[in-house]
Amino acid sequence: MTIALGRTRARVRARWAETATGYALVALPLAVLCVLVLMPASVAVVETVIVTGPDGPRLSLDHYTAFFADPFARRNLIYSLIQTAASTATVLAIALAIAVYLRFGTGRAVRVVHALALFPLFVPAIIAAYALIRFLGPNGLFQMLLERVGIGGYASPYLTPLGPFIGFVWEGLPLPVLVLTAGLAQVSDHAIEAARDLGAGGVRIFREILLPQVTRSLLIACSLVFLGIFGSYTIPYMMGPAAPEMMGVFMQRTYDQLQRPQDAQVQAVVSFLVCALVSVAYVRLILKERR
Amino acid sequence: MIGRRNVLAGFAAGSAALAAPALVRAQARTTLDVYIDGDTNIQDLWNNLVKPAFERANPGNTFRVTVTRGVGSGNRLIAERALAAMDTKSDPRVDFFEEYDPRHPADSIAKGLWVEFTRDRIAGLANLNPLSADLPQRLPYRGSQVLIAYDGAKVKEAPKSWAELVAWAKRNPGRFTYGRPDRGGSGRNFVVRAVHEANGRDPGLFRADNFDAKLAEERFGRAWEVLRDLHPHTYGQGAYPAGNTPALQLLAQGAVDMIAVWSDQAIQAIGQGVLPPTTKLVQLQDLGLCGGFAYSAIPTNAKNLDMALKLAELSLSTPIQTAIVKEIGGFPGIDWKHLPADLREAYIDIIPLSIPTFPSGEWNNAMNDGWYRSVATNVAR
Repeated sequence: MTIALGRTRARVRARWAETATGYALVALPLAVLCVLVLMPASVAVVETVIVTGPDGPRLSLDHYTAFFADPFARRNLIYSLIQTAASTATVLAIALAIAVYLRFGTGRAVRVVHALALFPLFVPAIIAAYALIRFLGPNGLFQMLLERVGIGGYASPYLTPLGPFIGFVWEGLPLPVLVLTAGLAQVSDHAIEAARDLGAGGVRIFREILLPQVTRSLLIACSLVFLGIFGSYTIPYMMGPAAPEMMGVFMQRTYDQLQRPQDAQVQAVVSFLVCALVSVAYVRLILKERR
Repeated sequence: MIGRRNVLAGFAAGSAALAAPALVRAQARTTLDVYIDGDTNIQDLWNNLVKPAFERANPGNTFRVTVTRGVGSGNRLIAERALAAMDTKSDPRVDFFEEYDPRHPADSIAKGLWVEFTRDRIAGLANLNPLSADLPQRLPYRGSQVLIAYDGAKVKEAPKSWAELVAWAKRNPGRFTYGRPDRGGSGRNFVVRAVHEANGRDPGLFRADNFDAKLAEERFGRAWEVLRDLHPHTYGQGAYPAGNTPALQLLAQGAVDMIAVWSDQAIQAIGQGVLPPTTKLVQLQDLGLCGGFAYSAIPTNAKNLDMALKLAELSLSTPIQTAIVKEIGGFPGIDWKHLPADLREAYIDIIPLSIPTFPSGEWNNAMNDGWYRSVATNVAR
């Protein structure tokens, strides 16, 4: 009895120590996050809802009303959303196809594809943008290759919405490929073989065995890619049209060129809200999945 | 972020500090701190040409170039630091600004932060180009102007006026472009030229101290009509490149035949073979595109003030002024008539008789914003 009680006490103490170590380990990153990110961010948010009128400062949503009343700003927001959604969907579709190929493919080609899919991870966005401009731009390598085989009438995507789209897809591939290959690695061969024995075809195996098991990875990848693209600057700035602008470019121009920091803050908070919505959706799905 | 370079520089500085007493004993050596906010061509000019000339002219003295380009607000931060140092009577650790406008911080001129350049302090000040006149705290040592560059192999008759330029662009759809006005001076000054065109070609209408939001809307509104008319005929029907270099690149790749360019960047690009040798430059004769001078500034609390003044003097000397024309394709700060005759002859076609200017600040911001809202959008109006 006493021995058992002593054991329990020791176990409780060990668990407590473990918890304390855990908290100690997260304390530093949490502190950094609070001081360098959360605090300035909340100050910025507070500043956007305070309007200084003739009779002193007051709480108001005037800045936001102004943002949404401005067709130019609205158009930039809508463009950013469409561009991000389209790029994210395309990235995920391609990444999933590559991941499935990497999971079931054999031979040397698999290694080559794997390396190629991860390659953009090591290329900074600015280099990628320049390379893509030289390759896809007017009179660039791609156009010359097309003309060599007799295909004329090439319209370069450079400086059109298609430009950043291509840039995002290329830059965005490695991360979801990594996440999805990890997810697919957990799918057991037995399940697939069993399904095959019962006469399931490729499409059915994909839909009923693979897809349910990688939903989580897919959601993680989706949010990561979405957030990365929505907040991007270099690629849309260098490859995209002058207008409409992605929110990152719009914000930078408002802050730096037009020297209107408060408007830039409002744009930042709106962008943050979009990202927060995506994050909330992601977290809720993950929690549901766990239950 | 600490780059490898910074670490190396740190080591270098550390070892220099250790070796310093020995050096001091050997020679009373002064090292000026020169701050540059300019592009690599300007950094090269100072490191490779001005520095050796300065060391030759002032044995035992040298300077260290610190580049602030792309770091926060660049030289502004250093000027703010110098002002703070003046208040606390400490070393500002800056002796010379390669280019800076002392109008910022607002009270710095009143507080006496900036050296007034006078003829008794700077030899050669009398030779300055009269077009460059500005505050006495500003020393114009180089200039450049926006021109129209075109491929002479494809464009037979160069436009000499705004109307001819627009007519050419309409006859050759997609073969002309200019950069976004907020992303580089070439595009900005092209837009300014449209503003001038729509407002009686009178650059004097726009001054740093006469901004008025209502007037701006009215005057810019007229300019937007001019530019919207041009818009569908430009490259990609309004796909404006994102800066000076992207515009140059389109010309270099043969995607367009005519663009607005900075004189110095175009001359250098032709020299380096980036632009084909058939590239020609022309200035509009009815009213030139804007340009301007780069003005140096010296803080009065500079630790090595005398040497800084010597450096200012050197920057106006004939060899350096010649190098500015020859090496970086810039315009001299001194009057062209004080340069060697052969050099003057070679550049006779683009020597400006007038250099229109357009103020930075409110007018400029309103113009850039208006351009994005009224010209760049492909929305039908």
